Amino acid sequence: MNALMQPGFWVFILTMSGIYGIFALGLQVQYGVGGILNFGHVGMMALSSYTMAILVISHGINFWIAAATGVGVAALGGAFLGLTTLRLRGDYFSIVSIAFSEIVRYVIYNSDGLTGGVQGSLAIPVIGDNYPSYTDTWDSLMNRAREILNPVFGEIADREFVMAIIVWITLGTLLFLVSRIERTSWARVLRATREDDEVPAALGKNVFRFRLQAVILGSIIGGIAGIYWALESSLLSPDDFLTLVTFYGWMILILSGATKVKGLPIAAIFFGFLYGGTRFFTFWPFSTFDASQRAYIRIMIIGIVLIILMMRRPQGIFGKRQEMVLE
Amino acid sequence: MNNLILEVKDVAIAFGGVRAVNGATLNVEVGSVTSVIGPNGAGKTTLFNLISGAIKPDSGTILFEGLEIQNLLPHKIADRGIIRTFQGAKVIKRMSVLDNLMLGGQDNPGDSLVNFFNPKARRAYEEQCRNRAMELLQQIGIERFAHEYAGILSGGQRKLLDLARALMANPVMLLLDEPFAGVNPTLVEKLLEVLHALRTQHHLTFLLIEHDLETVMNISDRVIVMAEGRVIAEGEPNSIYENQAVIDAYLGTRKATS
Amino acid sequence: MAEFVQLLFNGLVEGSIFGIAALGISLVYSVLRLVNFAAGDFLTLGAFTTFFFAVDTHLPFILAVIISMVIGVVVSLILEFFLWRKLRKSGAGMLALFLVATGIAFVLRQAIALTFGSNSRKFDIDQIKTFEFLGAQIAQAQLVVLCCASVAITAVALFIKKSTTGKNMRAYSDNPSLAAVSGINVDRVIIATWTISGAFGALAGVFQGTVQGQFTNGMGLDLLLSILAAVVLGTIGDAYGALIGGFVLGVVMELSTWDALLGGIPSTYKPVVAFAVLVIVLLFKPEGIFGVKARKI
Repeated sequence: MNALMQPGFWVFILTMSGIYGIFALGLQVQYGVGGILNFGHVGMMALSSYTMAILVISHGINFWIAAATGVGVAALGGAFLGLTTLRLRGDYFSIVSIAFSEIVRYVIYNSDGLTGGVQGSLAIPVIGDNYPSYTDTWDSLMNRAREILNPVFGEIADREFVMAIIVWITLGTLLFLVSRIERTSWARVLRATREDDEVPAALGKNVFRFRLQAVILGSIIGGIAGIYWALESSLLSPDDFLTLVTFYGWMILILSGATKVKGLPIAAIFFGFLYGGTRFFTFWPFSTFDASQRAYIRIMIIGIVLIILMMRRPQGIFGKRQEMVLE
Repeated sequence: MNNLILEVKDVAIAFGGVRAVNGATLNVEVGSVTSVIGPNGAGKTTLFNLISGAIKPDSGTILFEGLEIQNLLPHKIADRGIIRTFQGAKVIKRMSVLDNLMLGGQDNPGDSLVNFFNPKARRAYEEQCRNRAMELLQQIGIERFAHEYAGILSGGQRKLLDLARALMANPVMLLLDEPFAGVNPTLVEKLLEVLHALRTQHHLTFLLIEHDLETVMNISDRVIVMAEGRVIAEGEPNSIYENQAVIDAYLGTRKATS
Repeated sequence: MAEFVQLLFNGLVEGSIFGIAALGISLVYSVLRLVNFAAGDFLTLGAFTTFFFAVDTHLPFILAVIISMVIGVVVSLILEFFLWRKLRKSGAGMLALFLVATGIAFVLRQAIALTFGSNSRKFDIDQIKTFEFLGAQIAQAQLVVLCCASVAITAVALFIKKSTTGKNMRAYSDNPSLAAVSGINVDRVIIATWTISGAFGALAGVFQGTVQGQFTNGMGLDLLLSILAAVVLGTIGDAYGALIGGFVLGVVMELSTWDALLGGIPSTYKPVVAFAVLVIVLLFKPEGIFGVKARKI
């Protein structure tokens, strides 16, 4: 229970919520606007974070360039996924999207020489003797930010704190951008395709192109989440990018009412508590299990919450009342 | 050279052993109103689907304004100016009536994500598009539903919306799939008014599928009769009335020969 | 040549396991329109419960297998009555079904880990005995699996083709509303479907554990990708397609490691081969090998 009293804990939850919020936003762009069920989203996170880490550690490339490239690779991943499978029927796309992210993770796991394999980013091959942590550039930026914030916020303004602020500013900006994108005619076409492909096509819209753009846009946002993830955890491992994480994103979406971005921040925080808070359930009855067992229980709880959520809202989304009546 | 806007040459397609269209050949003249009639199962809607690109023929060619279109995707065919409506009037139920119309807007800068950073151009187009849409809504008499979900419209009103939306898309030729089916007579009048106005204003060509023979005879320049996947007669409305082959097809005295 | 025969045989054995598991998934899809993402964990469940009854409790192996199959069926039916039924009634869409299936997968996986721990297990079967055939080493265990799988597949194929319930299953999957009003006992069809899928899932898990030697609680998940690939390859909903997809995938995956093929792909990358095959086939045949929107059993 002591852990719960530390402000550092809450800041950590806030940061994780923000990162998963950005991740979920990437999903929202694809599902909320385009009705696309992408279950391989975590693959984009893996692509961006590992690309960034490899470029910094193995090739000494500047962090900012590496990060941008990482996001670019995530976009390419989305493009690949879309180009090969968006023309397929919906359930095939979903299945192949899972396969895609699993394959990404699998390749990361088995390419020791490139990615450090099962040992994670610490084992990424280095040039020279020093191990340049990919967080170096970021850390110095954070320190500078701290110097600015300390006088204002006092002792609380540690690295975690600054991280949380930056993540949430990013999330806020992205939310704003996405909400504006959702008001364009681009989004209008996609919303039409959710109901019927033939009508937009008959009016001259290349439905495939629109969907592909949605997937790429969502993948870029997922890639950004990946970079922040890498910075927050300082250390990457293929086990960080299980399909489980994609479903965290979906949970946040379901909680938020997937068609509009408004509810996303709150849903993300709620999820953050569910995810992070349960780590510290060291009281009874959880104390009867050891740490690794508690990890299993945590995921079990998330699975059960997912099931309950969907049982109560089987239509899938908190759409507007009128929209549901029109089914 | 010729004033044929559409030439369908010996087009055929089979679905799992059933020859839905079995060597259909027909032409449509620019600016005309041509109706396709025939008993159920004659292949009329399949023909429309072939022309609009929803399906590809197994054989034969389709020329629009002299260029082959049978292998093009639907949105490319729509780009060239062939705009269709759907049997049963497909509207996007969970979008407003106005949004449904605005979907038809062509070359909308807002369709491109790049233009997200050019709000001025997007806004200018949207406004112009919205004005045009509201005008059309007024013309067809459903402007009071502009901001309602299209799903609440009645069948006949959906037909009007379908038609209006097609008009938004700058059509050169309109493919109307049973535009009058299930529409009450007053609305039919309205529809005909609109169609007539369009014809004179924009030199549109109309190709329609219709079952109501009276309407067909009244508005068509030419009538094409299909049965069993083929064109069995074509010509001016009056000549069709007396054509024995047509009568047989409708009365079914000619047995199916496959 | 010897290596080719070896790989071919390994591929057939693995393919038969894929096929059995894929058959269950395809059946569930064709009757219930549900992609059962939890299927992989049913494999793991089957392997672990068999281990428990055979090794921990020292029951005869075959009895243990049968008990696991029953457990697989029971769990499937419990989920049907408490979850799937309700979801179908409320008209759940694809998203809801996917998420619930995944939720079930998470819960199952963690429950197995909680109950059995994370150590790897091994059946008490003779893994060593092998026969020689055309230069290849055929393990007795593999042969047994291949034979049993073939028997199981044939049994189910006959059931679906000849029995009343089987015919009803086909009718229902073709046209659910028509079947329902024609007096077909829909409940029986659904129960039969889950029974076959639950039993086959457990069986596939046991087979895989037998062939693999050692297995952990990640086993089902590792296989799920290849199994789903087989399902999609063979066109989802098509039972024969699932079998063919399974065999094709199994053989291609094994043969891809053949030296003679430009050095062969390292065997750890076999799943990548499965994925590549899937994507390539789908590019040419978007519905799967069997092309048409098959919903036949």
